[in-house]
Amino acid sequence: MLNRKITWMLPLFLIAKLLGGELAIGSFIPMADVKMRDISDKEISLNEAMGEKGLLVIFSCNTCPWVHAWEDRYITLAENYVPKGIGMIAVNPNEAYRERGDGIDDMKDRAKEYGYSFYYTLDEGSRLANAFGATRTPHIFLFNNERKLVYRGAIDDNARKPKKVKKPYLMNALDEMLAGREVAVTSTKALGCSIKFDK
Amino acid sequence: MERFYQFPLLLLLFGLIGFSGGCSPTVEIHQTDADFILKTVSTHTGSEGVLVNFWATWCEPCIEEFPMIVELSREYASQGLVVYFVSVDWLDEQAQVSTFLKEHGVTGLSFIKDQDSNEFIDAISKQWTGAIPFTIVFGKSSGNVVDLWEGKESKERFESAIKKALYESMGGS
Repeated sequence: MLNRKITWMLPLFLIAKLLGGELAIGSFIPMADVKMRDISDKEISLNEAMGEKGLLVIFSCNTCPWVHAWEDRYITLAENYVPKGIGMIAVNPNEAYRERGDGIDDMKDRAKEYGYSFYYTLDEGSRLANAFGATRTPHIFLFNNERKLVYRGAIDDNARKPKKVKKPYLMNALDEMLAGREVAVTSTKALGCSIKFDK
Repeated sequence: MERFYQFPLLLLLFGLIGFSGGCSPTVEIHQTDADFILKTVSTHTGSEGVLVNFWATWCEPCIEEFPMIVELSREYASQGLVVYFVSVDWLDEQAQVSTFLKEHGVTGLSFIKDQDSNEFIDAISKQWTGAIPFTIVFGKSSGNVVDLWEGKESKERFESAIKKALYESMGGS
């Protein structure tokens, strides 16, 4: 059964990669066993960060005002959904900015300052970002308990004013997924800082 | 419907501001949506190629490539290139946007986004994921998109796209 699923899912992943776009909905977690350095100094893979009910991957960084604007939502999401079985990990892909505020020591400082209670890892060579087709920070990817992508895109529709959010895209997707329902809106877009790939 | 009637009037107004010989060059920032921007671009079809750059005052790569784009807009103006800058700063930061544009010698019509981001991004281009800087280039004769990219790019990449836009009817460059 699993083999049949993998056979069916593989073309989706390959098509997305060939087109150079974002990871296709329904794809399995790419590079799930690759170890990354966490702010705890431990080596963590996405498989290890996976929760019982799913995994939330946020491509994030220290140097983007859009991240800063949405960062309070990171904390709320961790408080509300990690206890419900969602693993949560922020991944910093800004390879060209390691000396400009996105190095591991900067990440440790950031996590301490803002009270990150989730993994925050360094994506060496932006390999994960490339595998996911991530382009900006923040850029969200939500996987279900079968490790399949069910939502990608934005956290919500109002970065700077959480009380004025009208469309909580990610929370809706999480609630629907946890309730065993189909995610209604599987893909959204938001403005963000381009990932600083090392050219 | 009201918006439809406002559109040519606004263009006429901005045209007068931009081309009146007696006035000192000035920048006019219009708070708008994707539809208005694309309609503005389409008014150039058949006469000019158009490069639209999406940027923000807080975006380092945007700021780094900005002077080069201004320089290219001047260099290729006589060959029929029009450049529009679209700021995605918060609306309450319009004063900073205006100051920045003036400091960089940008004159005429410029834009600041006033629309839900999810709708705005998709309406501009399905291929834009939302990362900035974002640049999209429209052909002079066809008005079609001839190139687009996310992130900071080299002068060579910009010039290649500009030449494609200006000389598409001659088979590109």
